[in-house]
Amino acid sequence: MAGTLTTPPPGALTRRSAALLASAAALLARRIALLTALLALVFAVVEALPGDAADATSERGDDAGDVARRRALLGLDQPVAVRFLRWMAGLPTGDLGMSARGEPVWRLLSGPLPNTLLLGGLALALTVLAALGLGCRAALRPGSTTDRVISASATAVLALPEFVIAVALVLVLALWAGVLPAATTAGPDGAPASWTMLVLPVLALAIPQIGWNARIVRGALADEAKAPHVAAAVLDGLPPRRILTHHLLPGALPAVAAGVATSTGMLLGGAVAVETIFNYPGVGALLAGAVADRDTPVIAGVVALTGAAITCVLLAADAIRAWAAGIRR
Amino acid sequence: MRRLLPALALLLLAVAGPLLAPHPIDQPVTLPYGPAGTDGALLGGDQLGRDVLSRLLHGGRDLVLSSLAVAALVTAVAAVLGVAAALKPALGRFVERAAEVFMLLPAVLGILLVTLSWPDGGRLALMTAATALGAPYAVRFMTAAAAPVVSTGYVEAAVAGGERTWHLVLRDVLPNLRSTVLALFGLRFVAAVYVVATAAFLQIGPQPPAADWALMIRENGPGIILNPWAVLAPSIAVGLLAMTVNLAAHALAPKVDRT
Repeated sequence: MAGTLTTPPPGALTRRSAALLASAAALLARRIALLTALLALVFAVVEALPGDAADATSERGDDAGDVARRRALLGLDQPVAVRFLRWMAGLPTGDLGMSARGEPVWRLLSGPLPNTLLLGGLALALTVLAALGLGCRAALRPGSTTDRVISASATAVLALPEFVIAVALVLVLALWAGVLPAATTAGPDGAPASWTMLVLPVLALAIPQIGWNARIVRGALADEAKAPHVAAAVLDGLPPRRILTHHLLPGALPAVAAGVATSTGMLLGGAVAVETIFNYPGVGALLAGAVADRDTPVIAGVVALTGAAITCVLLAADAIRAWAAGIRR
Repeated sequence: MRRLLPALALLLLAVAGPLLAPHPIDQPVTLPYGPAGTDGALLGGDQLGRDVLSRLLHGGRDLVLSSLAVAALVTAVAAVLGVAAALKPALGRFVERAAEVFMLLPAVLGILLVTLSWPDGGRLALMTAATALGAPYAVRFMTAAAAPVVSTGYVEAAVAGGERTWHLVLRDVLPNLRSTVLALFGLRFVAAVYVVATAAFLQIGPQPPAADWALMIRENGPGIILNPWAVLAPSIAVGLLAMTVNLAAHALAPKVDRT
């Protein structure tokens, strides 16, 4: 192309950034469409299955009239389409509907949700750091003892349920060694009172995901090492660390980002069980109460917000993939 | 084969365990949280003084059988739908979208949602939810494995010859994917053990006074200092089950996709 030899014509740069913007908008629209599909699915599941919130919270001595009144109060007597549109229209403004007990779901969630996101966010950060560190160490010397130990322990822990790891951590580090607290107490602002209370829950959540992602990092680096530009770098006599950071990792990043994105869902799902064990003031306790009350609107609200959080991480993974593809070109 | 043995031995023990239990699981034999070794209770007593060892031997059957059923269902659905999706690109695109939507729904939350909306569903609700949540990934896994088979000459010839889709799926393509189906079953079993155990821990599934490993961990948590075995023994059992089954699944599936 002639344009590459001469200076770029005026307007080329803005055209390029416009194309970037368009592709970013397309990614965003796609993710929002998928999230909308999830919300529709959630609503359909709740709708299709027998029993509703008015039935679930009925108390002994309630007659049919009481249940009907509560149904009207919760808006459950409206047609399905109307309720679905109302629920969806409320979501962007943070209105998640009413719980079965007649409280707004967002108010129920406003306290515990930040705590769960803090727990999940810390576990995700630890997962990324540890998985990259361990995966790179294993990949630096393929077949060495270090590689075999890291790969074997990663496989061993990746399928463990979080609550089993949590019990083991509580027994060893809290009850026998006594170095960390076994339960969380909430401070005056509703957040955990001390950072030491976060250590065990974060570890219990992160350990299986570190195992899973360390394997992905290790595998992606091994795939990338077969590429010709890496062989050229090795022949040029570059130090292994430089090859790792400058030649292997950029190519392996999209696979790693996709792995971390799948881990986000596992972390937020596992948090429910882990919070129960550590008495952590998060969404888990709220969900346990909602299970007892059969409070479907609360669960649907949590699913919607969790889906939104995972969508954000997936968008970051999309961006990393686009950026890595840009480097390739 | 060597890597399958630990899992097979543990599965056998979990299913046959009730035959070996020395005490009934619903009668107290010692003090609540009685220490190990007293009153003939080798692992001590639980929160009601019932024998921990006997409950441990009873507590794995439900988890193992439910997980096996979920894994078999997901694998069967995925085997048929996955090959059909490889044959029909429109179905393939739909499955791809469905898998991307389900990525936004953590399995634990999905199961909570279904079992709550269907209060009388019991075990059926749990297994339906676990199957529905696992299926999209499994179908995608099968579609990817079936793609090379579908583009071979004999399948193309059969398609051109006007064979019915179900005949193509069951007679022409699936018999060539036996090892893939087995690998998928292993991976789905790992995922099912995780989901069924976590759900039971969240008190969805077996209800007291049933003996169940995950439920035992939940119930005996408050007495962990008095009789650690009441919590530790079922934790070790669930952990060993998850690890050995995962080891076996990785032996069956050389290249693993997220389950």
